[in-house]
Parts: sequence; C-alpha cells; structure tokens
Amino acid sequence: MSKAFLGIILGIFITAIFIMNSAGSLMFNEIESPFGVEETAARIQANVQSLASNGWKLSGLRNPAKAVAFDGGNVMPVLLVEACSTKYSGPILKDSNTQILSLLMPCSISVYKKDDGKTYVGMMNSGLLGQLFGSKVGGIMKQVEADQKVFVTFDPSKPAPPLIKIKPGGGSAGGNDQGGC
Amino acid sequence: MSIRNTLLLAFCMTGTMLATTIAVANVQPPVTATNAVTEVKTVQAPTKISSATDSKQNKKSVSTADHSKFDELQKDFKSGPEVTTACLECHTEAAKQVHKTKHWTWEYINPATKQKLGKKNVINNFCTSVTSNQTFCSACHVGYGWADDNFDFTKEENVDCVVCHDTTGKYKKLPGLSGHPNYESMEWPPHSGKFREATDLTNIAQSVGKTSRKTCGSCHFYGGGGNAVKHGDLDSSLVNPKHYLDVHMETEGLDFSCAKCHLSDSHEVSGSRYAPTAVDTDGVLMRGKADGRNPTTCQACHGDTPHKAEHPKLNEHTDKIACQTCHIPEYARGPLATKMSWDWSTAGTLDENGHRKQVKGSDGRTLYDSKKGDFTYDRYVIPEYVWFNGDIKYTLFGDKVDGEDLVKINEFLGTPGAPDSRIWPVKTFRGKQPYDVGNQTLAIFHTAGKDDSAFWGNYDWDKAIKWGMEAAGADYSGEFKFVETEMSWPITHMVAPKEDALTCKQCHKKEGRLEGVEGVYIPGRDANPWIYKIGLLIALLTLIGVAIHGGIRVYMHKRGE
Repeated sequence: MSKAFLGIILGIFITAIFIMNSAGSLMFNEIESPFGVEETAARIQANVQSLASNGWKLSGLRNPAKAVAFDGGNVMPVLLVEACSTKYSGPILKDSNTQILSLLMPCSISVYKKDDGKTYVGMMNSGLLGQLFGSKVGGIMKQVEADQKVFVTFDPSKPAPPLIKIKPGGGSAGGNDQGGC
Repeated sequence: MSIRNTLLLAFCMTGTMLATTIAVANVQPPVTATNAVTEVKTVQAPTKISSATDSKQNKKSVSTADHSKFDELQKDFKSGPEVTTACLECHTEAAKQVHKTKHWTWEYINPATKQKLGKKNVINNFCTSVTSNQTFCSACHVGYGWADDNFDFTKEENVDCVVCHDTTGKYKKLPGLSGHPNYESMEWPPHSGKFREATDLTNIAQSVGKTSRKTCGSCHFYGGGGNAVKHGDLDSSLVNPKHYLDVHMETEGLDFSCAKCHLSDSHEVSGSRYAPTAVDTDGVLMRGKADGRNPTTCQACHGDTPHKAEHPKLNEHTDKIACQTCHIPEYARGPLATKMSWDWSTAGTLDENGHRKQVKGSDGRTLYDSKKGDFTYDRYVIPEYVWFNGDIKYTLFGDKVDGEDLVKINEFLGTPGAPDSRIWPVKTFRGKQPYDVGNQTLAIFHTAGKDDSAFWGNYDWDKAIKWGMEAAGADYSGEFKFVETEMSWPITHMVAPKEDALTCKQCHKKEGRLEGVEGVYIPGRDANPWIYKIGLLIALLTLIGVAIHGGIRVYMHKRGE
C-alpha cells in the first residue's frame, strides 16, 4: 500500500516537473527570421493581408520598446503585429463559456531582436492552446494555427513591403476600423 | 508491490495528471467581476517634464557679449567671408588658430605609424574620397570656397566661423556649394520642389555663441553622406537625447554639449578618430594641468576604478576592458538605423526608362540607389570587439590592393592581454568599392559635380575613375574591378544608463559578446579541460569517500548490534 502511495506521489512529482519545464515552451513558438525587425514585421503584415479570404485584417502595430525608452531604459527592438479575423473571433465571442478568450485577441505576433543580434518571431501555439478549451475552440484555433504558419512564411525573392503603421485597435480589422476585433 | 509495479503506477499517474490538467483548464468557470481582484495602483506620473522645464528656465546665457549690439555686425552681409572679416576685427587671432587645426587642414600625421591621414588623404568605404569631390565634401569643411586644389588655405577670411558658432540653427552649408551656404533661394534637395530661403547672414552673425550639439552634429552626425550613416554612435537623435540614449548628453539631465568632453585649446578640439586614446590609467584629469592628456577619455572624469567599493570585481575588469565595452552595449540605439554596408559595385543600374532608380525598405530607408548601390542598415547593433592600443593602420591610396583579399581600410592594432591594450567595441562597416587593377590600388573616383565625368551624372565608372585618379596625380590603368573592404570605428558615444550596461552573463558564457576575442581567459566562456577533469576527479573522490565512510558506519553499527 505504501508503495502504491509512493507511486502516486512520484507521478504527481514527475507531472509537476514536466509541466514546469515544458509548459512555457509548448505554449509559444519561436523562429528565427532572416530579415531585420522592421522588414520581418512588414512581411508578416503582408502575409496577413494575403489571407484576407480567411477574414484576416491588420489591427495594430505596437512598439513596446518605445515605452521603455520613454521611461529612460533600453531594450532591444521589438514590434508586435496585431491581426484579427472575425471569421474566427466571432464564434468564440458569441459563446459565454469562451468569451474569456477575448483576452487573447487580437492575434499578436512578436518580432524582436535578441542579444545574438538576430531577429526572431514569437507566436502563441494556437493549436495546443485551443485544445485546452474544448473541441469548438480547438477546431477554430487549429485553423488559426494553419494561418499563422502562412504569416511567418517569407519569400526572400519578393521585395521588402513597407511597414504599415496602424494604431492598435485601428486599421481595418473587424469591420472597417471598429476597434480591432 | 514490486518496484516495477510502483514505476508503472507512477507512469499511469503522470498520464492521469496531464489529462486532468487539460480537463480542468477546459471547465474552469469564468471569473466574475465581483470576485475578481481589481486592485488598480495609482501610478505617479513622471516628474521629469517639470524638472526639464525648470532646467531650461535656469539655463540663462552666460555670455558677456551680445553680438547683436556690435557695430561691426550691423551690416547686410552678402557672403560668408564678409562675416568672417567682421569677426576677425575683434577675434584677431581666431583664423590663425583655426588654420592649424584638423578641422581646417583635413590632414593629420599619425606620430606612431607616420601615416599621412586626415580626410584629405584617407579613402573610406562610404563616399570614398575627397579628392576631385571637394565641391561637395567641403560642405563639412570649416571654410569657404574649397572647390579644387587651388583653394587658398592661408586666407583668413576663408575660415567659416559661424558653422561652429551659429545659435539660430538656420545656417546650413549645402553639398555642391564649395563650403558656402546658399546666398539665394535654392531648390533643396535637388528636384524636390522644396526651396531653402537665402541664408540670413546678418541675423546669424549677430546671434553667434558657443558651439553646441547641433553645430558639431551638423557635420559629425551626417558623416558618410547622411544622418546616422557613418559612426553608429553619432546621429541627430543626440541633439535632444533622452536618458536611455546618452546619460551625459540627456537634455533633461546632465545636458553635456560635445565641448564638455572635447575641450578645445586655441580652436584645436581634443579627441581624435585617427589616434584615439585606448588606455588611460592616469586617473582623473585635473583641469588646466598641462600634461598633454586627452580630456575626452572616460577616465579623465571617472578615474580608472570608477565602480563602487561593493563591486570590486568590476574595477578588476578595467585593466582588460574599455569602459565603452560594457557601458555602450549597443550602438545606434536612437530611432535612426545606422548604415552597415555599402556596395558600390551595384551602382549604375537604371530603371526601365533609363532613369535613376531608388528602392526603399520596409522602414522607408533607401536600400538601393542608382547613384550609390546597395545598402544595409541596423539599429541596436551589437558591436564587434577588438584589442586596441590606440594605433590604427590605414590602407592609403597607393598601398597595394590585389583584389583577392579583403581590404582593411583601417586596422585597429593591439596585443591581447598587453598593458597598453584594451578590448574595445567597434562598428565595422563593410562594403565593395572600385580598385585600379593595373595600379593595384584603391581607386579614387569623381562622384559629384556638374561636369560630364561625375559618376552621379553619367553612371560611367571609367570616366569617373579616370578623372579621380588624375586629380590624385595618378595614371588610371584603364581597368577597374570591385574589392571587398571593411573599416572600423570606435564606439564611444551613446553611453547607456548603468542599469543597461552589459551584465556578467552576456560575456561570461559560450557564444557571448566576447566569443571571438582572443588572448584572455573568460570564465564561463573558456573551458580549460584540465580544470574540468580535476573538478570531476575531486567530485568523484568525494563521492567515493562518502560511500566508504557511510559503508563503514553501517557496517560498524550492525556489528555493534
């Protein structure tokens, strides 16, 4: 009996270790970009616009580094590309059980430079996250995940598109400038 | 229950717990507004704005002379030399002093290498050479009228006083005017449809004062053909910098002008890019002490053990590392990106209509220009690090270039670990530029001008190089190719707040900041296999010792029973 109890404790312990070690990295994806921060963000924006058929629109571009600089500090360049698709956000926002997921809207893709001088793209692992919230959300987030892959697929043969500077919550996302999503 | 079964149960439990975690996440009830903690902290608004206002109010002019009241300046000045003539009526020795400075001669002989340097002689990998391009380059000369080799360097009224002493911010020497400002209304930039009004010389002459970040910056921020292009640690964001960008120049803080560090003596400004002071171990510089020391070093104010007593380890770094290495962790930290490379070899490609082509990048910066070729830029650039003893060796016109090897336009000299060397941060600018194949030397080419040989007018490399080489007194062999070049610049400005200095971990790790720096043992970066082996051996022996000791205790205990 005592050995069974020991087994349960050991199981809890291993689970806790597993969650602590991998939950963070599982929830987010990070890839390296061959371009600089601005160009990477601009290419992501262009990719978002290329998926207009799925309802995707740009809803903002944030520069959190600017706020830090304003208060006197230095951080490496970082830009947050915000995009939204009412095709995906609508069903989630309609359901009281999943409305809380509006916290994750709009979809943010972070582009940042690290101490190694390289540019990286960080995104939420939408597919995995969706699975935590039932089949309906899971299904939607699977589609978001597929679109996200398109967002970060870069074609170096294409010229650098201009960076679109949209105030967060502005742009044309969610029905012609109606506040984001 | 056997151990096997225990482990099996543990695995089952792990799976169950994972599944439970997912399930719980799925059914978690929403937090209602009533039971949610809605603590909102009141954040005090920063008080910097008011202190800045106070600071500005406290800054009164300390000058004892109001130049607008001087009879000599009550004239309708028609040209720069006329203004200078008026200045010299009182400041009788000023022009003579200026004539002896690098700002005037654009020449400098390095006492260590004996190389003849200065803008007049060095070929860089930006706009490359002053020779044959004086009409344009002299927009940054402290003189009027330097258009060609016939310029009179002895004429006092050719000195431009107001380029350094203007306080109106309205004085601008435009490229192509041989160091003059525009005396008549003029379209600028060319073909832009915008016009610059004629320079109001009388107002400017009557408003002269001390040099400022703006006057020094009117050239030094725009080196290499544009804002933020050349140095990486100098650009127009330093005219009114915030705390994050430069703790010394911060407008709302110490508000240093350039001259605060770059003290002048008889118009000769201290601090040199051609012979920087790489090591300064003489402690704080006593102002006025005539010992010939460079007052621009960090140590001249901070000493060479500047860190507080509770951080003695930091002071122990100063015999190997320049202050700038830690305290300027990245350069080009302002809103402007600095140019990182310039490929002249692609210049000259026109659009389908035969017109000049310009390609802009995502941030609006020019990536390609028919006149200049391809560029790359970067912000928050991580410097390269080199051992540096203050000596820089240049590849000058006439030095052999075979076209195969990368040409180091300049090379920072230094010996790893030597007392006269420190690890310095540098910006390394890379490019491709023409060289004369027959003469095996970097080519001088005629870039800009209204004649038909200027590359920016005809896009004809042969013609431009022929003209440039002749202006330099050399015969062009008739064949040119492009060669890869690199040029380094010490990083000394844009000193970050101390909180943003490099942390220990940024260097003391594998693939850290100093990964490529040889000749110094850096714990965390350098693995000494013997130290590791000895450590492992000690750990193993300790383990064996503990096991033997424990075993004996157990044995003795059982024996005692």
